[in-house]
Amino acid sequence: MSVSAKDSYQKLKTAAQEKVKSLNDRPVVWVGTATCGKAAGAVDVREFFKEEIEKRGLDVRVMEIGCMGHCYAEPLVIIAKPGHPRLCYGYLDEGLTRRLVQDFLEGDDPCYEFALVALDPNDFFPTFTDFPRGVYEKKIILEDCGFIDPESIDEYIARDGYEAVAGVLEMEPEEVLRQVKASTLRGRGGAGFPAGVKWEACRKAAEKTRYVICNADEGDPGAFMDRSILESNPHLVIEGMVICAYTVEAAQGYFYIRSEYPQAVRRVNNALEQARDKGLLGNNILGSGFNFDIEVFEGSGAFVCGEGSALVSSMEGEMGVPRHKPPRLTASGFRGKPTVLNNVKTFAYVPHILRKGVEWFKNTGTEKSPGTAVFTLVGKVTNQGLVEVPMGTTLRQLIFDVGESVPNEKEFKAVQIGGPSGGCLPESVLDTPIDFDSLYDAGAIMGSGGLVVLDEDDCMVAIARYFLEFTQQESCGRCTFCRLGTKHMLDILTAITRGEGEQGSLEILQELAEDVKNGSLCNLGGTAPNPVLTTLRYFGDEYEAHIKERRCPALMCTHLVAFYIIPQKCSKLCNACVGSCPTEAIYTRDDGLKAINQEKCVKCNSCLKACPPEYNAVVKLSPPELVEERERENNK
Amino acid sequence: MELAAGEKEEILKHVGAVLEEFKTTRESLVPMLQAVQKKVGYLPELAMEKIAEGLDIPAVDVYGLATFYNQFRLNPPGRYQVKVCMGTACYMIGGKVALESFERRLDIQEGETTPDREFSLERVACVGCCSMAPVVLINDMVEGRVTPTRVDGLLLEYKDGEEKISEENKEEARTKGADNSSSNEEGERSA
Amino acid sequence: MSAKVTLTIDEKEIRAANGDILLWTALENGIYIPNLCAVKEREMPAASCRLCFVEVEGKKKPVTACTQPVAEGMVVNTRSPRVDRLVKTAFELLISDHRLGCSKCPKNKSCELQKIAKERGFRLKSKRLKRLPKKEYIDDSAELFIFDRSRCVLCERCVWMDRHVVNSGVLGFSRRGIERSVTTFMEKKLAQSPCAGKCGKCVEVCPVGALSFKDKSERENGSPEGP
Repeated sequence: MSVSAKDSYQKLKTAAQEKVKSLNDRPVVWVGTATCGKAAGAVDVREFFKEEIEKRGLDVRVMEIGCMGHCYAEPLVIIAKPGHPRLCYGYLDEGLTRRLVQDFLEGDDPCYEFALVALDPNDFFPTFTDFPRGVYEKKIILEDCGFIDPESIDEYIARDGYEAVAGVLEMEPEEVLRQVKASTLRGRGGAGFPAGVKWEACRKAAEKTRYVICNADEGDPGAFMDRSILESNPHLVIEGMVICAYTVEAAQGYFYIRSEYPQAVRRVNNALEQARDKGLLGNNILGSGFNFDIEVFEGSGAFVCGEGSALVSSMEGEMGVPRHKPPRLTASGFRGKPTVLNNVKTFAYVPHILRKGVEWFKNTGTEKSPGTAVFTLVGKVTNQGLVEVPMGTTLRQLIFDVGESVPNEKEFKAVQIGGPSGGCLPESVLDTPIDFDSLYDAGAIMGSGGLVVLDEDDCMVAIARYFLEFTQQESCGRCTFCRLGTKHMLDILTAITRGEGEQGSLEILQELAEDVKNGSLCNLGGTAPNPVLTTLRYFGDEYEAHIKERRCPALMCTHLVAFYIIPQKCSKLCNACVGSCPTEAIYTRDDGLKAINQEKCVKCNSCLKACPPEYNAVVKLSPPELVEERERENNK
Repeated sequence: MELAAGEKEEILKHVGAVLEEFKTTRESLVPMLQAVQKKVGYLPELAMEKIAEGLDIPAVDVYGLATFYNQFRLNPPGRYQVKVCMGTACYMIGGKVALESFERRLDIQEGETTPDREFSLERVACVGCCSMAPVVLINDMVEGRVTPTRVDGLLLEYKDGEEKISEENKEEARTKGADNSSSNEEGERSA
Repeated sequence: MSAKVTLTIDEKEIRAANGDILLWTALENGIYIPNLCAVKEREMPAASCRLCFVEVEGKKKPVTACTQPVAEGMVVNTRSPRVDRLVKTAFELLISDHRLGCSKCPKNKSCELQKIAKERGFRLKSKRLKRLPKKEYIDDSAELFIFDRSRCVLCERCVWMDRHVVNSGVLGFSRRGIERSVTTFMEKKLAQSPCAGKCGKCVEVCPVGALSFKDKSERENGSPEGP
């Protein structure tokens, strides 16, 4: 070998740093255009900036970045202007755009009144560490997400990207494996299986053709960590896969990405191409003689394909139907060959561990679950978005400090963690530390990181029903328990939410849930009952109210509630509710008060939202018979 | 379903191209079906038959896959495909209300297409924009915070407005524009 | 020749070849374990019916005998409260989705479901579970046999036979979850399929009355009726 991998890398890095530096000596506007940003109108914001800058003839670049995790404030931009700290602004619209271009880019006033946070330490404006969220958050795999251009490999390399690969290529694979094992990194797909042990099993397999697959079939409703990482920093994951491939001596890798994530697919493909161009993928990586390339496989939309054997089947052109394990994928995976299948986040930790060391990694988190946990914090929480906290942080800290609690002065009720395979945990267990084992003991699972906060307006029976409906629809249908057991459970839950629950329903539900958990062929079925089991365990009284009183305490189950306009509160002169009703169910009585025709009402909540707060005349009543009672009282 | 005149040739042309493009192994089945659906809009019986022939696999396996995965459809979609997100956050915050509003206004059920083939309606699992809940996709455009009144607005927009180009096309057009402008920038700088 | 091992099933000492599958070892030694989907020749067992649960000492949970290789010194119990509960639930689930009416079923008295019910003392009607509405689908177009999907338990045996023995590729699965079904291309009638329903091998392996030869069943029995 004439040139070492490290020397080859150093050349790349020097060139990348020069290129990035040359671009950043003039102002840059970074617009967050991950899918969430786009949904909030980021594409329009980007265009406003471009138009406004062009109109004023300014020398400012407008670039795109991924997701910073502050979804609640989308659309977001970061403005970097020499002489100022980088500043982040949220809730962008046309007016604010014009203002920022005019006052900050053309003038020199950073408009602090609109800034959310500064990214560099400075004397004028607070940075992330000055907010409660910054105190609890510790970013490892999200560190660069939203702060570098995901379409530019140079930015990644300039920030030490692919340095770990260069280092690894000069080590023996055994040594790399030793470090990954020593780090006790656990798989972030949900179950927390040690990555090093998995890699070792694959490496030990007699068969020499091996594969590395990145599982980005993120199907949990309410979870989008993997999408965000792939859209915001795809090279980090690619780098982790290269290291894995070198360790297990694989020559081919795959990204399995859901087709519902077109932007992630585009950005990953773009990143793969750039990596090939730089000699970081393909033949003879960094001159080391090691060959490895990656292709993208687009999943076709089946939640069950997140399960390893189903994922592999679908790549082989079959239905995504799981099979009995063992053999595990590390013995017989894609094409029957030894295969390492890890989640996006698992791969994303690997370059950090190799670059900064095992001890550095183990300094964060708990002994058995080192590192951080990444969550999508959504639902009834003020700061929605993507968060990364050290393992061992409590749920309470995550929801009330990082998420800044439940908005609108509502009462916290539960947190759903782990998606359809996870559970709903009540206030009483919020001091549970977040790690694989503690959450399991509480009845939930870490899952891949979906975390939905529920408040007093959310019905726990309806939530359990929602998740069961999801798994029932997504069941592959192969085995008896999952195909039929979840169907019966769903039928019982549906009946309960309609006030048709029977004596004994709950006992049957509990029995079925336990049997489906113990008897199913794969983990989709094995974990499907968790939302039911946890809600029965922690919120049994809500079930009872539905069955015995035909009452939904959270006023959510539409069959069990009715809308009512309180005559004493109705203003007569206001027509807000009438206009909001999509079915013309609201009419004006002879005396000018508004009333609801219950036959026509579809219980869509529009009138309740439309009624001005000074009147607050619309209420929900449960059981629905209460409406007649109220009417009778009022007619007396 | 009976194919209209010309449709058959169209389908055969696309399937032929797909069989040329991909390796004819079973592993190509999913990507092939994706490619055909992208061109034709759905998976006609004829296309499934021809792909099975091309890959030398049982036709029932192609049919099995087409009915197993959410992505594939066996009937032509509407010109505007409305997809209502039923992820947890959307569901809790009013996804179902949005879905019902579309059903009511379009007078079709989830999974159906309007008789004039303008709109089709379906639910999707999480599209990953939970903070914008409830979210609706119309073709590739993401619409956030969709209330019943917003549903009416959206339908009006699409029914009466000029034909909206999909996000992807728009993206392309804009990227092209961006390329031009950046090369201009470079030009200005060097000048 | 693989080495022999000794194991105990229900306190009976049994010799078997190392790596043999527990289900077949038990059955061949006269010990009954309920099963519907098992096919001895099948390399990767379907393990889909979930009826062959047994206790293996040292394992935390009951395991399916069709996926469990035997080993030296293994101690197996085919019955335990946990096993009985799982098997009973699996059986009730299958029955809740299976069109009954045994007296008019061509497989009456040779049906595996009946056999399991008899062996384990199960009723053919579940008290706990409601019957699931089942869409009627009967294809009697083939010359030799009738396909009654509402009696199918999705054991996968017929599809395995079709693929691995007959190599016809006529039968397969469609859809998923509760809608998963054995089907032909585009749900076409068997008479129109490439095999035209002429060999009947798939019928031989059906454990229930979903596939049945015509000479054993009278045509009018194909009409829907309650249990």
